[in-house]
Amino acid sequence: MTLDRGEMIEQESVLGHDPSLEDQPEAAKEIAGKSPTQIALSRLRKDKVATLCIAVIVLLVLVAVLAPVITRIFGVYWNVSDPKAPNTTDVLAFDGYPKVGPPFNSFTWDHPLGVAPRLGYDNLAYLVYGLRTSLIVCVAATVISTIIGVVLGLMAGFSRGWVDRVISFITDLLLAFPFLLAMLALSPIITSRFSTDQDKLRIATITSLITILIIFGWMGLARLIRGQVLSLREREFILAAEVIGVPTRQILFKELLPNLIAPIVISISLGLPGFVAAEAGLSFLGLGISGYPSLGKMVSDAAPYYADYGLYLWLPVGAIALLTLSLNLLGDSVRDAFDPRTRR
Amino acid sequence: MRLKRSAVALATASMLVLAACGGDGDGDDKKSSDNPSVDTENLGNTGSGTDPTREGPATIEGAKEGGTVTVLSSPGLTTPIDPSDLYYTDTNAILTSLVTRQLTQYAYDQESGQMILVPDLATDLGTPNDDFTEWKFTLRDGIKWETGAPVTADEVAFGIIRSMDGKTFPNGPGLYYSNPYFLGGEDYKGPYTAPDAEQQAVTVDGNTITVKMAKPFPDFPFYASFPAIGPIPTDPAVSDPAKYAQHPLSTGPYKIEQYTIGKTLTLVRNDQWDPNTDPARTAYPDKYVFKVGLQSEQIDQILLADSGEAKTTLAYDDVLAQNYRKANETGRLVTGGQPCTYFYALDQRKVPDKSIAEALTWALPYNDQIVATGLIPDVNAVATQNLMPPGVPGREPYDPVEGHGPFQTDPEKAKQILADAGNEGYEIKFLYSTDSDVSVAGKDVLVKGLEAAGFKATPVATTLADSVSDRDDVNGDINMRSYGWCSDWPSGATWVPPIFQSTDLEEVGFGTNESAFNNPEIDQKIEDVSALPVDEQPAAWNDLEKEIMTTYLPVVPRYYGGVVQMHGSAIEGVVIDNTLGMPSFRDIWVNAG
Amino acid sequence: MLGYIVRRLMSAFLVVVLTSMFVFLLFFKGPSNPAEPLCNLNGKCTPEKLAILTEQLGYNDSVVHQYGIYVGGFFHDRTISFGPKYHCDAPCLGISFRTRNEVTSELVEKFPATLSIAVGGASIYLTLGVLLGTLAARRRGTLLDRSLVTFSVTVSAVPYYVIALMVWIYVSLQWKLIEDTSYHPITSDPLHWATGLALPWAVIGLTSSTAYARYSRGQMIETLGEDYVRTAVAKGVSERGVVIRHALRAAIVPIITIFGLDFAFLLTGTIFTEVIFQIDGVGKWAIQALRSPVDFPVVSATVLFGAVIIVLANLIVDLLYAVIDPRVRLA
Repeated sequence: MTLDRGEMIEQESVLGHDPSLEDQPEAAKEIAGKSPTQIALSRLRKDKVATLCIAVIVLLVLVAVLAPVITRIFGVYWNVSDPKAPNTTDVLAFDGYPKVGPPFNSFTWDHPLGVAPRLGYDNLAYLVYGLRTSLIVCVAATVISTIIGVVLGLMAGFSRGWVDRVISFITDLLLAFPFLLAMLALSPIITSRFSTDQDKLRIATITSLITILIIFGWMGLARLIRGQVLSLREREFILAAEVIGVPTRQILFKELLPNLIAPIVISISLGLPGFVAAEAGLSFLGLGISGYPSLGKMVSDAAPYYADYGLYLWLPVGAIALLTLSLNLLGDSVRDAFDPRTRR
Repeated sequence: MRLKRSAVALATASMLVLAACGGDGDGDDKKSSDNPSVDTENLGNTGSGTDPTREGPATIEGAKEGGTVTVLSSPGLTTPIDPSDLYYTDTNAILTSLVTRQLTQYAYDQESGQMILVPDLATDLGTPNDDFTEWKFTLRDGIKWETGAPVTADEVAFGIIRSMDGKTFPNGPGLYYSNPYFLGGEDYKGPYTAPDAEQQAVTVDGNTITVKMAKPFPDFPFYASFPAIGPIPTDPAVSDPAKYAQHPLSTGPYKIEQYTIGKTLTLVRNDQWDPNTDPARTAYPDKYVFKVGLQSEQIDQILLADSGEAKTTLAYDDVLAQNYRKANETGRLVTGGQPCTYFYALDQRKVPDKSIAEALTWALPYNDQIVATGLIPDVNAVATQNLMPPGVPGREPYDPVEGHGPFQTDPEKAKQILADAGNEGYEIKFLYSTDSDVSVAGKDVLVKGLEAAGFKATPVATTLADSVSDRDDVNGDINMRSYGWCSDWPSGATWVPPIFQSTDLEEVGFGTNESAFNNPEIDQKIEDVSALPVDEQPAAWNDLEKEIMTTYLPVVPRYYGGVVQMHGSAIEGVVIDNTLGMPSFRDIWVNAG
Repeated sequence: MLGYIVRRLMSAFLVVVLTSMFVFLLFFKGPSNPAEPLCNLNGKCTPEKLAILTEQLGYNDSVVHQYGIYVGGFFHDRTISFGPKYHCDAPCLGISFRTRNEVTSELVEKFPATLSIAVGGASIYLTLGVLLGTLAARRRGTLLDRSLVTFSVTVSAVPYYVIALMVWIYVSLQWKLIEDTSYHPITSDPLHWATGLALPWAVIGLTSSTAYARYSRGQMIETLGEDYVRTAVAKGVSERGVVIRHALRAAIVPIITIFGLDFAFLLTGTIFTEVIFQIDGVGKWAIQALRSPVDFPVVSATVLFGAVIIVLANLIVDLLYAVIDPRVRLA
């Protein structure tokens, strides 16, 4: 009952980096006088794939940020109820196929990427706003779930006692709880709460989506951090700090956290595409939440038209693939850059 | 009252619809032509004729025996098939045409293209007393169960009595007809819920069954065509409700070989059925296999390809809009009507005057909404005029708003009407379901249409799970309700009273009067028409509807239901049973070549 | 160790109980009347019908009482009425609103399809992944290694369902290479079973194998660098021998651990696979039940089933981990 794929990414980071990563960077520090982060950054700068990915991501972010400008330049609308948007039957024939643009008519600047059959929205406008949704959701979910994961992981790993048990229990509970169901159950509650105000409803919808992704998204990192802390705290420098009476908070954040930068950064860079995929996957399944443009919904809208209107399907598929691919490749490069064992 | 559309709309909204079709991308330019070529004349002939003397056996000239017919549907066969619990279009059509027999039945009339009511188990269409409070039916001889045992009058009586058990059969039609109309039906709770209670409605004398009514029920012969008004074995071990629903015993030409709800139903010949006793069923094919739960697009592609088994296959789902043109070219598409009208009901307690409804009539983006919700204008969403669809006896077309033609949208005119009445920017509040793709798409288009016409549109969000109770909440903060009404038989009495008769809002809610229309004068007229002699009623209902609509306009009609279904090239005799919007299974045969 | 196991068992049990309670609460304390989905399922929902169903299902009683009855059904037979009275054998998970069959027997009926997908897919990705990973590790730095890594990164970067959907559309629908994707019991027709599931297996196998290839490559490289392996090489053990006898054996343990969890997730319902390829397994069943109108008994059964499997898998993996890695101290 979990998304088939999301878990994989988390586990991958667990496995790829578990065995004491931090041994060698310290040695490197002594010789070159560089922190692991600095080393990683300089490595990234030389990495061609990473550079390309960053360029693509920057471009996609720009498109998403400038979505209102782009749609205004082309005069297109993602929402058919916009007063300025064309009437449905002005752009669609009686059987729902577009009367203008692809697939059966020539290219038109009015709708550079065509019009969605049946629903009548402009594909370009929907695509850029869908991208915006994807990016907002993945950034917000990643940032917050990372913070939660790190804090809870540190606490669990360091305290060992009942705090650890409680956190581990919550982790187990959430891992076992089907988050599709949570998503579904949430929708009527949100809907009844903000039923009359469309704008608030849209915001509440996205917020609740992000919240759900966060609630079910922090456990991987928390487990990872906990594991790291469990092995780190047996190490001499922590033991020493404890013996000489350094306050716990300081041990956690001054001694332990710097040693955990690598797994955290890696988890962030792999979390972003994971959340993009999760959001699109949920709306692809058509579960619970609607009312905002989403690439996943566009895929499921377009799937029946694959034979006659391939462009309609390939637009969102291409956008999701490009976004997740570049984020993942960048994540991989980041991981490699932080990995002392990688020879270059 | 059964709404097939709700299921269909859900199906469209549900999964990704995908399919098996090669992209024969011969870039057809014809796709850009704008008018569907369909004969809408015959749509909505809902069948009003009767023929009390028709006798079996029924035959079709040139039809051949044999073959297996495969029937496909995406959302179908998910509702109960226990005759007493059966009140849904697809199960009704399948069971009454092929498996169960009841007192009366419909037959397709080749000449008029209509369904007409003919006898079934009874020798005629029943004999009423003067005020229609008592109906007598005489059972035919030679009717047998699939087990070979004869069907007795006691078993028919038991079936009729069983339909009054609303607690055991909450899905059935009994709650709406048996209990309110039958003598003592309001108090008698049925043989399972109240095994010791005595019922007063049904008596048996030899071969004659008498049903007594608490109030006049002139349309009882139509109700008697429902599976609920047929025989049920009196042996409690056989007809136990939980078990009988898996395998109702056959009295018709086919019996159930295998049935899995929501998946498959296989019907094979019932050799105990005697065609000489049956005025309407033909039973040419050897076997029927129903397969449901497939995706709509898949069904279309199977039928479009028309290879192998698909040749002897038909579907009772509408062809998807995007496949309509291709399907129409095959010449294997049949269209027909459904006795349904879809309309917006304006809350009469809230709207200031009739100008709102008039402006709305001009403002509604009829075609936009139909296309956006996946229907095809004038094919399975037929342009309306009256509230009553074509085929209801006595119906005469008229225009509820003067000068407004069917499906005509003119925002400027709407604006003008609002301005003249001083109602500019009037706020229309209506529900939509956030978790239904179709509902959201319809809402978007409606908002745009309303705003363009000078209304203020306020969509109120709900979910599918809550949509019915939110709509029927009399204190809900909305003033326009979307509703679809399908009649159970063609009579003005199934249209005007349910939609316009006032109800006690505090006690029972809207009932089916979703506009909360409450006019004592009209209530009185409804009473008056009901008391008229039966042959004067049809015209009187039509006049009354016209009076209400032109004077008050409590509801704004949007479209009539229609169906558009495809079948394989070896299937012959597919006609639409307009009383249900289903293929008439009584007339199908396989042309092996 | 024993104390740890007991404690983990108890917490696992608690997780399952809490999950089922949550599901119950979500539906019964949510904004909708839980009888309304059932009312909508079988034709038009009228107020009369709704009132009857609400009463029959006992939804007027307190949640605690209802939950008690629900749990009681695990241990003894129940009679459930909505309309007719249905008998439900223990362990009773309720009667499906949609099909009116016992949920337990439906679960038993749907599970083989999911199991088949999971077993087939998982065995492909495990063998293929480990094989490719080992190969890449041994040929580290060569063109083979690099193209393998690039391919695997690319494939695993694109969401699974996008790949599955495109494969289904093009391979099955457009080019008609494998037209039939459906489940047929292995007992009745093993060949049909295999051909019907070939495409889903291939897609799961290929997309997930890349991740395993990367795990095992990493693990192999690491173990190949360990002292004892180097010693073996120095002692003159052949390269193949070293890889198989020492490195692979060491590398496979953590891979199996991860595999356990993965496999458990597959067993709870391969949702996207089943929905896209239209296979009647637990995942598609759950999704259908979740769609409006909600089939509550099925939803709660699939949730419970999923929770039990995941919790068990977690438990096993944790214990395994504790046994394998001496650095983890069990507090």
